[in-house]
Amino acid sequence: MPEMAPPNLQSVSNGTVSPGPQAVGLLRWVEFMGLQDLQVGYLFSSTGSYELVARSMLNGALLAAEEINASGLGIRFEPSVLNPGGDLSQYSALAAKLLERNIRHVVGCYTSSSRKEVIPLFEKHDALLWYPSHYEGFESSTNVIYTGAAPNQHVLPLVEYLLAHHGHRAFCVGSNYIWAWENNRILRESVSARQGSVLAERYFAVGETDFRQAIEAIIEARPSFVFLTLIGTSAYQFFRDFRTACRARGIDQAREIPVASCSLSEPELQAIGEDAVDGHLSSSVYFCSIETPANLRFLKAYELRFPEGPIASADAEASYNAVWLLALGVAAAGTDEPIAVKEELIRQHLDAPQGAVWIDEQTFHAYLTPRIGRSNRNARFDLVSEARAPVQPDPYLVHNSARFEAAGVPSLRLVS
Amino acid sequence: MTEPRLLQNFSGGRAIVVTDRASSLDVLTTALDRLGVTTNPVDIVGSIAAIDLATLQPDRSIVFIDGDISDGAVLPLSTIGRLPPAPVIGLLGVSAPSRLKALMKAGATSFLRKPVHVAAVYPALFVGVNEYRHRRHLERLLEDQERRRRSRRDVVKAIIRTMSEYGIDDDEAYDLLRRRSMRTRQTLEDLCKDLARSSDRQEDGECVLRRKLAD
Repeated sequence: MPEMAPPNLQSVSNGTVSPGPQAVGLLRWVEFMGLQDLQVGYLFSSTGSYELVARSMLNGALLAAEEINASGLGIRFEPSVLNPGGDLSQYSALAAKLLERNIRHVVGCYTSSSRKEVIPLFEKHDALLWYPSHYEGFESSTNVIYTGAAPNQHVLPLVEYLLAHHGHRAFCVGSNYIWAWENNRILRESVSARQGSVLAERYFAVGETDFRQAIEAIIEARPSFVFLTLIGTSAYQFFRDFRTACRARGIDQAREIPVASCSLSEPELQAIGEDAVDGHLSSSVYFCSIETPANLRFLKAYELRFPEGPIASADAEASYNAVWLLALGVAAAGTDEPIAVKEELIRQHLDAPQGAVWIDEQTFHAYLTPRIGRSNRNARFDLVSEARAPVQPDPYLVHNSARFEAAGVPSLRLVS
Repeated sequence: MTEPRLLQNFSGGRAIVVTDRASSLDVLTTALDRLGVTTNPVDIVGSIAAIDLATLQPDRSIVFIDGDISDGAVLPLSTIGRLPPAPVIGLLGVSAPSRLKALMKAGATSFLRKPVHVAAVYPALFVGVNEYRHRRHLERLLEDQERRRRSRRDVVKAIIRTMSEYGIDDDEAYDLLRRRSMRTRQTLEDLCKDLARSSDRQEDGECVLRRKLAD
């Protein structure tokens, strides 16, 4: 294992590095010993239709555990890694297996449907799920710590950017589940408020790869942009087929009908292939191209540890942050008891690869820094927009949405 | 009358909680706080009778009533729709028919099972408040229909007089009145009432009618 330097740690009230055992009493010593082989569950679908992202998440989580174990923090994590294979029914079975072994902290899940599948188990066992992926919001379980972006940290910034720079006529294509439905609702609200229009919403089963009809419809409609909420292999195929279809008609797809996504990450750019990799917009709190010392350190360690890939991504960083925040919470609490960890967690600050990250005590979502990137031919993102500071999570869009849903276009007829 | 838009963001709302177990409200008040709904200590009361009705706002207040309380007090309900002055969400302990009936009679449009689960609060608010708004809309429609029903006599009068004045049949008379009401941005019933009263007041009622219906 290469020598790794942990992130810079800050703590509002406590030092984050535990005192040596010789300096504490017997009780503290017992607690300290209890933190030496702490079982942590990792639940990632490293096979299946979204395996690429999930493998990068697993890598981020594994890297963090190794760094923590070498950091002198006084904690040793022993990850138990289980793979549901992208099969929804496997998530609850495997989560139950982890929780029945008295594991109290599990890092994992990518899709919202998988998260919702396992939450009742975490509530039953009084355990904590550390959910390290961006999602559509409208949830705040007391048994979940959300380290990925809330909708006001990635969906709304992208919608604002698209409407300001690309026009008001949207065409939505997505995987048929809550992630796409809710993102499209948010888009529709914003577009309607500006007298724009959503030309169509097309949904496909997760894993679907035949988009010929939808692509024909898009080219026919000529929207200002395509708002893409397809995930995994579906998304990669869409990018390739859409670029090919546009090229055949002499359309400069990236310039004339850009595709924008809230989930596109670097490992996926590689999967799309070099022929269609460039010119896509993505909204995220992390891109590999962020040039901070913490990110350069993270990337170096990640690439050394996982030379076979997949490369780092926003979800890998969120997983990495989740494990580090868990470690800081456990170290500060002196126990892995979930309530105590949550109490201490809100006082921890992490100098994460994306910048400062900390947990909001009201919602247990993370303060994160929104950014928008445009993909280039090197399968990386060039930053085109960046928030000045970490943004407070607003999972219910209490501070970022209209009181009422957007009004539909009234159907009027001439009466005289 | 336009169907009300769905309320989706409850920020700025005010919760009034009727319960005799104020100590067990942590989950509810924390969840409401996350949604931007404030619960002031003075708004946690032990009886419906203790609610200051003058401060209730149908668009901002949300009343949570513990179904396990039975003090005989009730919120005043509207005549037609039997609606309380603000949306009511029932807190269900015992799910027996008598308790459910009591909460329904209090105007509850959704329920939260006790102990309250944090994930259930937003859906309960969403359904309860929007169902209340929908029922209020239906109540206004009913009131409007009732008002129109009471105006039938004036409409009949106006049609007969128009037929007589212009020598046209009832369909043409109705059409003339309807077009006039749209031009003057009045309901047909209001126009007819106006015409009927003007005609009743003046001996040369037919001239008044012609003048009022003139383009």
